[in-house]
Amino acid sequence: MTNRFVELASTTAYKKGIPKLRIIYTPHPITDRPADQCRKFLEGNDPHTGKPLLDEIIGAITKPLSEEEKKRGFIKREPRPRFLPPDTADNLQQLFIDSNFTDGGPIILPTKERVAEMLKGTSHDPEEIVGTMRPSPPHEAWEYNVEMVAVNAVMAGAKPEYFPVILALASTGTSSLFSSTSSFARMVLVNGPIVKEIGMNAGIGAMGPFNQANTTIGRAWTLISKNLGGSGKPGETYLGSLGNPLSYNNMCFPENEEALPEGWKPFHVQKGFNESDSVVSIFSGWSYNNIAWYSKLPNQDVMKNWLSHFFSFGVSQATFMIDPVTAAYIHDDGFDSKEKLADYLAKNSTTPAWLYWQRRERQIEMGKNGTEPYASYLKLGENADIPESRFIRRPLPKQNSDDTLTESGRAFLRDRIDKDNSLEILVVGGGTNTYWGGGDFSYMSSALVDKWR
Amino acid sequence: MKKIGWFVLALLFLFSLQATETPAAQDEMITVYNPRGIQPPIRLIPMPERGSIEGKTVYLVDTKYPNTKPFVNELYKILKERYPKTNWVLKDKIGMYMQDDPNLWAEIKEKAQGMIMVIGH
Repeated sequence: MTNRFVELASTTAYKKGIPKLRIIYTPHPITDRPADQCRKFLEGNDPHTGKPLLDEIIGAITKPLSEEEKKRGFIKREPRPRFLPPDTADNLQQLFIDSNFTDGGPIILPTKERVAEMLKGTSHDPEEIVGTMRPSPPHEAWEYNVEMVAVNAVMAGAKPEYFPVILALASTGTSSLFSSTSSFARMVLVNGPIVKEIGMNAGIGAMGPFNQANTTIGRAWTLISKNLGGSGKPGETYLGSLGNPLSYNNMCFPENEEALPEGWKPFHVQKGFNESDSVVSIFSGWSYNNIAWYSKLPNQDVMKNWLSHFFSFGVSQATFMIDPVTAAYIHDDGFDSKEKLADYLAKNSTTPAWLYWQRRERQIEMGKNGTEPYASYLKLGENADIPESRFIRRPLPKQNSDDTLTESGRAFLRDRIDKDNSLEILVVGGGTNTYWGGGDFSYMSSALVDKWR
Repeated sequence: MKKIGWFVLALLFLFSLQATETPAAQDEMITVYNPRGIQPPIRLIPMPERGSIEGKTVYLVDTKYPNTKPFVNELYKILKERYPKTNWVLKDKIGMYMQDDPNLWAEIKEKAQGMIMVIGH
């Protein structure tokens, strides 16, 4: 392991029940290093201990176990009192920030009265288990109940009427702070009658900081991920090198269902829910482009060209957030459904040659030997656009329903069975201009809000 | 007129008392909920006994973190050069680096006396 991850490796070993696991550290990074530099690393010292690296490796697999390493049984975890020791409001505010319980900003202190008020937003028992969550698959999962979610909802500044949406988000068991060096972002979309009931903003500035429900529901997910999902401790349970500014409230917004062109279904209906259902859907990605651009080309072709050249960590999925005015123009150009637009974009977008060949060493060799289409693609040169889309995928075969899947897992599976591209289309915004946005976000899952009323 | 003036002053004084947070209120002790979830118990996993690797088989497992193959290959080479009496077996784990590979773990338990895993990054 490289020495940039000492804290991660040692805490992970501890949580897995091998606190004395023998881990040897190399200089960081070993990615993309030529063989001669790798040899130097191996002939040098372990940067963590300062001892010869190779001796450390051999020692780790040959030295007899110490008494500490032979221990069996259980490790006691920190006790979890329901309440924190009483203190002044100022001191508690600082304690929450210093303990990494917040997103770095101040929170609403979760007093007994405020949490009791939040719990009025649901009919569910405060002790009912909502789910488990972890920073990423190798990490341990933490468990949480309705009351614990209410505590974090209060902290985020949410109103009790938002609580069913927040509970539905928490029920997905998905952390908004996925631990990867690539600094993931998440996105929250709300559909259905709940949007109006709680006064969410789907119009002008829907994706900006202008509405309490949009802001605090998204913020609550980040706090839940930290405090209930064991995520978000830099160096240990969060490794995003640059971090992601979208993580503050996870781009939480509702779809502007009233502004959908004729024939364009609301997102939750596309995913198999009824129009009268209230649903929260989550997406995973890294980045977002706000496209304010005038072109002689039709909007769908500007989108197609953006899609061809858009590059981030995520290169094979995208989600469009389209202003209602732009959506209406696209509709009038003959796209009478979101699916038709997604299909057009997926089939007509291309891939820049440098990106196409990046992980296709075998195909390069085949092309050099005259195998088509690679031979023709190679002839196009390194600055060409290869006529292959990155956004077409093979749908999963239909299968019998799996009762062991969670609601959000079923939504994901249904999506993978039904779709042959990795593009999503959303309509949002106030119709003030012919703009749109796009990002490398892929659909993860949906959860029924009504279940948590 | 003088009486009205005093009355207004007294009212202003009372309002000012209400509007200003007293030091006592700032120092008031309050109780808040613990915002954290429930951590699972940790069961200690016993580590296998160690010993000489001479004449033994040791697997070098590559988790295939992107673009780290040159490092893995160099490690394999240097181990074979320096410890020729050990049977070094280089194996790729299946899938991406986070995917589990129970078949490989079973194979190592059956055929080897040790394992070195290369993680990245």
